[in-house]
Amino acid sequence: MKWTGYLSALLAVALVFVFAGSAATTQDKPQAKIQASAIQILMVTSDEVKLPIAFQLALYENLIEQVQKANKFSHVYRDGDTAAASAPDLVILHSNVYGFKQGSEGKRQVTTVAGATQIKVHCDFTDKAGKSELAQDVTGNVRFIGGNLRATFDFAKKVTQIIVTNVQ
Amino acid sequence: MKMPRAFLALCAAAVILIGVASFSAPCLAQDASAANPMSFAETKQVLGLEGLKHNVMGTLAAENGSLVFTKGKKKVVVPAASITEVMTGKDTERTIGGTVGTLTMFAPYGGGRFLSLFRTKIDTLSLEYSDPSGGVHGVVFALSEGNALGAKKALLNQGAKTSVPPEAEADAQAKPKEKKQ
Repeated sequence: MKWTGYLSALLAVALVFVFAGSAATTQDKPQAKIQASAIQILMVTSDEVKLPIAFQLALYENLIEQVQKANKFSHVYRDGDTAAASAPDLVILHSNVYGFKQGSEGKRQVTTVAGATQIKVHCDFTDKAGKSELAQDVTGNVRFIGGNLRATFDFAKKVTQIIVTNVQ
Repeated sequence: MKMPRAFLALCAAAVILIGVASFSAPCLAQDASAANPMSFAETKQVLGLEGLKHNVMGTLAAENGSLVFTKGKKKVVVPAASITEVMTGKDTERTIGGTVGTLTMFAPYGGGRFLSLFRTKIDTLSLEYSDPSGGVHGVVFALSEGNALGAKKALLNQGAKTSVPPEAEADAQAKPKEKKQ
């Protein structure tokens, strides 16, 4: 009698675990990964905000550098590269800056709370036909130490992380 | 007795020679820089040039139809005709940079914070160029204040293109100064 009691309690606990596990797998069902062997990174645009060209170029160059370092693609094409047209499984990254606050490195060093630089970018991964496969907003920051351009490096690192997570 | 005299004469000759050399050396240096007014020493390549690390100091030159950045034995050449945009800007940077500059922040009694207030004004020169396969590259340089416009003009003379003529930039830079006065 005592054993049946223990067994039924154990069974109940096991059932709870099984249901919880199945619920978790349905919730954490991974989003279908993007199938791509090459990427083309387009020049960063800024339709809504006036972005200094140095920031625009730094965003673009850091992005290319970080994506190349991630070693996720057989080839990383630049904007305008004619060879990208013949690449199979090409994903194209469009980045548009929609928020920009140029901070001050001097203020950051003196106060540590003021003077942060922040760049908000909308990133859209599309196929060759322009169909969106993944879209995400990314914010690049520099808060304590470093020049203003460091925000562009932070942005590039975050986008690379998105690529590593979502591209197969 | 003769030996000390000869020794003294030799010393006097050495002193004279050193004096002449110290006067002539700066003249030679001036002549060298005057020979190539399109060269900008102590230029920092912030990012973008192939084969170079970020924040590398070197010499930027506009010569033989190209942009040439030299860092020691390394030389990066970009044909001026492939440069599609040249823009100048202004910024500031820490006088004490790198690891030492960062470590000063942790100095006691806020001494580092005081040191970090010493900042120098710099000019930035940003340019876009295309490689032979059409790929767009971006490069950012930091030059000592007042040099970016000269560098831009030098590159335009070599065949680079821009959407903002240097005259317009010169006017834009002059206007804020007038307002201050």
